[in-house]
Amino acid sequence: MEHKKRRLLTLPAVGWLLVFTVLPLLIMLFYSVQADDGSGFTFANYLRFFSKGMYLKLTGRTIVWAVLVTVFSLLIAYPLAYILAKKLKGARGIILVLIIIPFFTNQLVRIYSWLIFLQDGGVLNRLLGALGLSSGDTLGILYTQAAVIIGLVHAYFPYMVITIYMALERMDDAMLEASASLGATKMTTFRRVVFPASMPGVVSGILIVFVPCLGTFVEPRILGGTDGMVIGTVIEDQFTELYGWNFGAAIAFLLLAMVLLSMMAISKWGRRYDV
Amino acid sequence: MKKNLGSKAFVLLALLYLYVPIFVLMVMGFNESRYNSLPFSFTLKWYQELAQDDVLLTATRNSLLIALVTGLACMVLGTLFILGHQALKNKGKQLARSFVMMPMSIPWLILGLSLLLMIRAVDLEKNLFFVLAGHIVISLPYTLLVLEARVQSLDQTLEDMSSSLGATAWTTFRRVTFPALAPAIVAGGFLSFMISFDNFPISYFLMPAGISTLPIEIQSSIKFGFTPEINAISTVIIGISLLCLAVVGLIMGKTFLGMIGGNKKNV
Repeated sequence: MEHKKRRLLTLPAVGWLLVFTVLPLLIMLFYSVQADDGSGFTFANYLRFFSKGMYLKLTGRTIVWAVLVTVFSLLIAYPLAYILAKKLKGARGIILVLIIIPFFTNQLVRIYSWLIFLQDGGVLNRLLGALGLSSGDTLGILYTQAAVIIGLVHAYFPYMVITIYMALERMDDAMLEASASLGATKMTTFRRVVFPASMPGVVSGILIVFVPCLGTFVEPRILGGTDGMVIGTVIEDQFTELYGWNFGAAIAFLLLAMVLLSMMAISKWGRRYDV
Repeated sequence: MKKNLGSKAFVLLALLYLYVPIFVLMVMGFNESRYNSLPFSFTLKWYQELAQDDVLLTATRNSLLIALVTGLACMVLGTLFILGHQALKNKGKQLARSFVMMPMSIPWLILGLSLLLMIRAVDLEKNLFFVLAGHIVISLPYTLLVLEARVQSLDQTLEDMSSSLGATAWTTFRRVTFPALAPAIVAGGFLSFMISFDNFPISYFLMPAGISTLPIEIQSSIKFGFTPEINAISTVIIGISLLCLAVVGLIMGKTFLGMIGGNKKNV
């Protein structure tokens, strides 16, 4: 009836994103191909990134860290989701709520809590000392790569629990029984029935963890100290400390390309498992 | 039985990992030492200092106001979008959806910086409007996800029935669609409120000099020497968040649990 008119209701949201997402990105693209001295169009900013070993090294580190965070998140999230969906069914409501609650704690509060927990002479240090597991007054975890990974996994693995749990929950338990009654061992049932069914959840879980890790800069900066340089912190420095806006815009675009490419690769790989 | 013991142990370990640092932070808010160090000796002095710390309290109030406006704006934009989206078909429907979900796949660092460059390009000073613009951009997709989940479980025939019984489009909206969507609108608004309240990167790049939000204050106190006042305010915020979560949980009832838990019946 009034379908044509009703479609117009999408315009405010679409318009908002056009003006405050698409347009700013185009402006950023423009900045990235401008010379610092105002002499106009140039690719120098992009070339500069690829000509310096340091930037490539930091790109490599960013990717390695994002992969590590994703792998550790999977190692925690998959068993947890499986247990919730198939084993401890009685308690799962309360456990799910407990896993979701930290979503609602501030990102900086969480980082700060790790700072306190991991600091030399802090709670973990004392605890390990009392248990005789470590000696000395220093723990030496804070301001290392390990601290960044611990903090990032803590922030992101709960999302993965939810996506994998949702995939497993959709699976019919009768399939497990059918597989067992047809003589499959537990391992075979897992490999041939459970694992494929969980794949859509695993794929979206990987997307939800890996992608933001590529662009993170707050956790590495605070928990990694001087060892915490990643692409995100390089971009931040260009804008806040060094006034290298054109160069910063170019790196930001390279990061965006990296994010989009990895998203496409992950979803393409995941499509194989879409039944 | 033995199997379940292993499962329980695993769940317990994961929950410990999730909660121990936050718990330590809360406890240390009641500890005498300025440097969060042990041994523990109970005090309320950090809460007393917090009560007189105008900088921190003003920043908290700013965060709450920004989050409130963001939440309301997302409720309006999100509801309008989802209503219009239902009237779209096939390709257009798909396209509109991927467009509005786009900000989810762009790092906040990049969104914040591109807005900063936009402010510079049009030769403006940093201002609160752009902070809000950025907060709405990053929160809107989440509001839409919540609304979408609700719309999908909605019975389309109800609307058709209403209009075939002679109700105008507005009456149908007011009497049928809106009441059905209301819990999701509230939950979606709440989610944007929380995302905005929590946001550091966008505010960090776009906040005008001299005004700050709570995450910015926490970050600068981490940078320039922190005090357990941060523990105190964090504890208060975690408490209030849980309270809000409980309230929204009650309003949404089963739908909310189903949404987060992926209950079959609601998908």
